[in-house]
Amino acid sequence: MVTVSTDTPEEIRDRRYAHGLRADMLSDRDLAVTDAFGLRNLGYHSGPPTDEVEALPVPTSLLIDRDGKVLWVDQAENYQRRSDPRVVLAALKRHLD
Amino acid sequence: MSETMVKPGTILGFLALAIAAATAGTWFYRVRMVDIPEDRTLFVICFLAAAGVGIAALVKGAGKLGVLPALLAIVVGAFLPFTIAISEQQVATTGVQVGETIPHFTALDDRREMFDSKNLAGRPVLMKFFRAHW
Repeated sequence: MVTVSTDTPEEIRDRRYAHGLRADMLSDRDLAVTDAFGLRNLGYHSGPPTDEVEALPVPTSLLIDRDGKVLWVDQAENYQRRSDPRVVLAALKRHLD
Repeated sequence: MSETMVKPGTILGFLALAIAAATAGTWFYRVRMVDIPEDRTLFVICFLAAAGVGIAALVKGAGKLGVLPALLAIVVGAFLPFTIAISEQQVATTGVQVGETIPHFTALDDRREMFDSKNLAGRPVLMKFFRAHW
């Protein structure tokens, strides 16, 4: 699993320990990865003014096969509604079993 | 009637603040735990109830003691409706689609080491884009 966010590496490290996460967790302060995937939120930048990032990614889950091809995408039309873990697990089962 | 008797509006002001504080505390705790429920109706009802009771307190006359709690409850109670209003996302139609190959990318990981997407070759990957930890 790979996560991408606009957090700094230090913020990500804190959250990894706080939540006991095991994943490759990447910092995308300049939105280079977000833009490469075309996932920048073009709407209202609702982050706190103290965070200096230019924009934020649209919360998105992607399932990618061993050749790098996208098998499944789940994207939030509303950032408060993110991929339900049950939906993600169902997609994993459907595409990888 | 005693002049020192607490006004009903004052009691309502503190009641509004208690509802707002309990709801906001629960909301932020669940945000921190990445555990916001899919159905947030109860949160919306509680936040709006806090704002409504706060307004009722001001209408009834909250007195010097109750004005601040009532105003705080109204502000906090309006919080969730505000975040809902700004939460709609807009993404370019050129975003990565099912069937396409993901672009090559590099980025710093949480150890400040450079991660290269070439490392993903040969294994299926679940990739999640988040806004940020807050």
